[in-house]
Amino acid sequence: MPPIPNLTAADFLPLWPAVVLSLAGMVLLLSEVFLKATEREGESVRTYQAVFTVGAAVLAGGLALSLTFEPARAVFLAFAVLDPFSSFITAVACLGLALTALLSDGFLRQRQAERGEFYALLLFATAGMSLLALSNELIMLFVSLEVMSISTYALAAYLRRGPRPTEAGFKYFILGAFSSALFLYGAALLYSASGTTHLAGLASELGRIFADPSSDRRLVVYCGMALVAAGLAFKVAAVPFHMWAPDVYEGAPTPVTALMSVGVKAASFAALVRVFLAIGRHVEPQVPVLLFSTLAILTMVLGNLLALPQRNVKRMLAYSSISHAGYLLVGVTALFVPQARAGLPGVTVLAAGTRADQADALRAILFYLLTYTVTAVGAFGVVGALERREDETRGFGWDVDRFSGLAQRRPGWAVAMAAFMLSLGGIPPLAGFMGKLLVFRAAVDSGLLMLVVVGVLTSAVGAYYYLRVVVYMFMRPPPEQATLAPHQWGTEVALAVTAAAVVLLGVAPGLVTRWLGPAGHLFGQ
Amino acid sequence: MNAAQLQPYLLTLVVFLPLLGAGLLLFLPREEAGQVRAWTLLAMGVDLALAAVAYLVFDPKGAEFQLEVRRAWSAEFGISYHLGVDGLSVSLVLLTGFLGPVVVLSSWKFIHDRVKEFHISLLLIQAAMMGTLVSLDLVLFYVFFEAMLIPMYLLIGVWGSERRREAAMKFFLYTLFGSLVMLVAILAVYFIGQPAGARSFDYGTIYNSLLSANRQLAACTQGVGCATLSPLALTLQAWGPLMFLAFALAFAIKVPMVPLHTWLPEAHVEAPVAGSIILAGVMLKMGTYGFWRFAIPLFPVAAYQFRPLFVALAVVGIVYGALMCLAQQDVKKLIAYSSVSHLGICMLGIFAFTAEAASGSAYQMLNHGVSSGALFCLFGFLYERRHTRRISDYGGVARVMPFFAASFLVVTFSSIAVPGTNGFVGEFLVLLGTFKASSLWLGYPVLATTTVILGASYMLWMVQRVFFGPIDRPENGGLRDLDLREGLTASAFMVLVLWMGLAPQPFLDRIAPATDRFVARAQLGTPDSAKVKDADVRVTVPPIEGAPPALPQPPVAAVALPR
Repeated sequence: MPPIPNLTAADFLPLWPAVVLSLAGMVLLLSEVFLKATEREGESVRTYQAVFTVGAAVLAGGLALSLTFEPARAVFLAFAVLDPFSSFITAVACLGLALTALLSDGFLRQRQAERGEFYALLLFATAGMSLLALSNELIMLFVSLEVMSISTYALAAYLRRGPRPTEAGFKYFILGAFSSALFLYGAALLYSASGTTHLAGLASELGRIFADPSSDRRLVVYCGMALVAAGLAFKVAAVPFHMWAPDVYEGAPTPVTALMSVGVKAASFAALVRVFLAIGRHVEPQVPVLLFSTLAILTMVLGNLLALPQRNVKRMLAYSSISHAGYLLVGVTALFVPQARAGLPGVTVLAAGTRADQADALRAILFYLLTYTVTAVGAFGVVGALERREDETRGFGWDVDRFSGLAQRRPGWAVAMAAFMLSLGGIPPLAGFMGKLLVFRAAVDSGLLMLVVVGVLTSAVGAYYYLRVVVYMFMRPPPEQATLAPHQWGTEVALAVTAAAVVLLGVAPGLVTRWLGPAGHLFGQ
Repeated sequence: MNAAQLQPYLLTLVVFLPLLGAGLLLFLPREEAGQVRAWTLLAMGVDLALAAVAYLVFDPKGAEFQLEVRRAWSAEFGISYHLGVDGLSVSLVLLTGFLGPVVVLSSWKFIHDRVKEFHISLLLIQAAMMGTLVSLDLVLFYVFFEAMLIPMYLLIGVWGSERRREAAMKFFLYTLFGSLVMLVAILAVYFIGQPAGARSFDYGTIYNSLLSANRQLAACTQGVGCATLSPLALTLQAWGPLMFLAFALAFAIKVPMVPLHTWLPEAHVEAPVAGSIILAGVMLKMGTYGFWRFAIPLFPVAAYQFRPLFVALAVVGIVYGALMCLAQQDVKKLIAYSSVSHLGICMLGIFAFTAEAASGSAYQMLNHGVSSGALFCLFGFLYERRHTRRISDYGGVARVMPFFAASFLVVTFSSIAVPGTNGFVGEFLVLLGTFKASSLWLGYPVLATTTVILGASYMLWMVQRVFFGPIDRPENGGLRDLDLREGLTASAFMVLVLWMGLAPQPFLDRIAPATDRFVARAQLGTPDSAKVKDADVRVTVPPIEGAPPALPQPPVAAVALPR
């Protein structure tokens, strides 16, 4: 029997956000039992669940933010790390959770589908995201990935009644399980090549393999790397592993879609970055650059082109979410440009690909994830507030026509939605522009000018479909008999917060970027 | 606190006061249209006063950039909040400030639908335009440059005429495409010129960092020292032309230069009066201003390489715009095409690289702002009464609206550069300077001079058909002349036309030092580059006030691993 490791209290420090989230989820599940049958049907009683979830998310997010001041270190025998990067990802996921919970309250009440397990699943999913961000070992990574994914599979099929949620849940589950298997197979191959599942050990072992020109284990490493990349690319919905995203995003309850497009994406990107910074630095340098730049270009181009013909706003946002994964992948690619090879093609290298630039790329990714979180949750919030129950089965509940004349019917929502759309399109002075600017800047610093050119051109394409929503809201008359859902406090609060954040992050990015400094370095990298 | 201590805040106030006004409007009830208009007018008026103070405080003999302020904005990423004006931008700021209240007055009765949102859009555009003119940081400039788009897009798309949605979309996508390409160039120029870790988006810093490389490159085009080019100069040699073209594309779309002008007539025709005035009055100048401030100074060698192309396009624009005017049936479209022609003159003046042409071009920017703004504004008054833009629907208007006809004629004279009006000074200087530019083919200024004849023909022909002759349509018989509000607006334009035409010197004095610097910076890429002294072109960059300390870089720790 192996000796029981000597863990100290300090080892548990990074787990606190996940602990808070999981405990809150369990409390919600238990509290459900004590509600009387009449109360279960009642209107007002259920609001406590949303409030409780928001409270837990804020507490966990605050804990995560306070952890960013802790010195970076390995914990749990290096199975996990405590570093500012993971803490920031947790904070972003908690922000997404809090906003989602606010949106869910009114959304579920309208559909008479308020049950405690919804919020509990949200909390468990977020706990999984938090764990995923700090995993430093492949098995732990896989388990966290599954904690997050299984909760979201269930959430996707939460509204069981229509055919779409069932389809969404089933599709998500099958393809998600498939991608998990890919990841696991890749991890196994990496283990077989290196003899360890610890990322740091993997890194040094790979360094040894690739320093030895006669090593026969390179192919195994590359196969493992490709499979791990494919598995994670599924989770972030990068082309060509994006097929599930539009259907699942469309079929899932809208608040869940919001959380999927932000929290799941943020945590998966964190895992992607952590795994590949460990293994990608030690393989032949052009391989990760080629891998990620191909993924980035495909994702940006196809994500934007496929979004163009969508009249269904929810589906359009799904494709837009794919394209944003592409912009993030540009930032990821910038992490792997080796110093010697950096520079614009044909240009004398002045100085590029230094550690400072890579730190900037990581900070840019974090900032982008934050801006995307507030923007996308806001946009899905408006979409969710506008959809009506009887439309869902017929499939055009989110047609852009529903936005006609919104500026006259609900000016506040219209202005907020316009801000979200323009921010997603990267129009200054909104948050999305700053995110894109910082990511593109990091990429240019690493000499990836071509990627930036593709990114910029595809953003011009993107502006078209984002603007279409603005056109419908502001420039078309409202339909004859348009009924709008009554005001829901949660939705209003969430929209106000996100709209304010979208403007504030665009106008004063320094408020956030000055705290991102230490997050530019992953622990041990 | 005395006046000198307030100076650093002046430009910030000029930029953000309209924004404050827009914030105020949010709290007004939407039914109170009169209050909304009054508050907007007040905000615009105060902004004009502040702009005038900035214009008066500006010392033509002083430093290049004055009223500067530079603070940390997002210092980690090399972006600073850096504002400052030189002679040209302070003049354009004054022009923008002047058009602000005019725009509000001109649409006082025209806009009935969603009055509050309309005025908020006006104030937002005003803030963004002011910001564009005073930004000395490339990212800040880009933010303001793009921020103009959204409210303008709404202005055309919501309050425009029949085909407004298409026009708004076309306007937006055209300009967005150009500016996105420019964004890549901004990132690239930021990247190549400076060492890692110390990069900055500051205009002056970037300019200074490229200076010696530009010099080497200019010498190399003469065959001197090509073997010993620095790495930066090599980079500029390979990428300078592309970066220049990327900047130029964004600005040429904005100007607009033929063949990128097709969005303009549509946008002008569909836009409400206020939109047309802003678009023609100020927004088009952002293109010429961009060439003047960024595209040419940063890449003088590439600019010199492409000079024949741009001069040719400018001349084509001058002639083509004028010929198109002759064929128009629609008054607004005619004025729009005359803008294409007039801005061709501005571009010709900028690319002539002589002091006369450059100052003429700068003056022409102001003139065109006044005269085309006035034309759109005055025609807007007529349109409010008759709701038609077709020339043939009018005739004999002067008989029933004598004061209106007189003011329209004065503005027409300004537009066709009759001596004694402001248009004459600018156009004359540009043509003179272009003739003097020894390295240009003489055919260009000769062809450009046809604008004097063509311009007179199309404008006067239009005036004749609209204002003179018999009243052959009964609707035109009952038109009333301008009321007090309209008369005041028209008079303001007339005063400015005559003042700037009869006493141009005070205005030109402000522009002169900026002109000299611009010409010196442009000359840096020409064979005469050796004559340009560093002191004339180098930009003085102030330090960032209140910059936070550099980011901590945690040490890279080794991990102890169980194996």
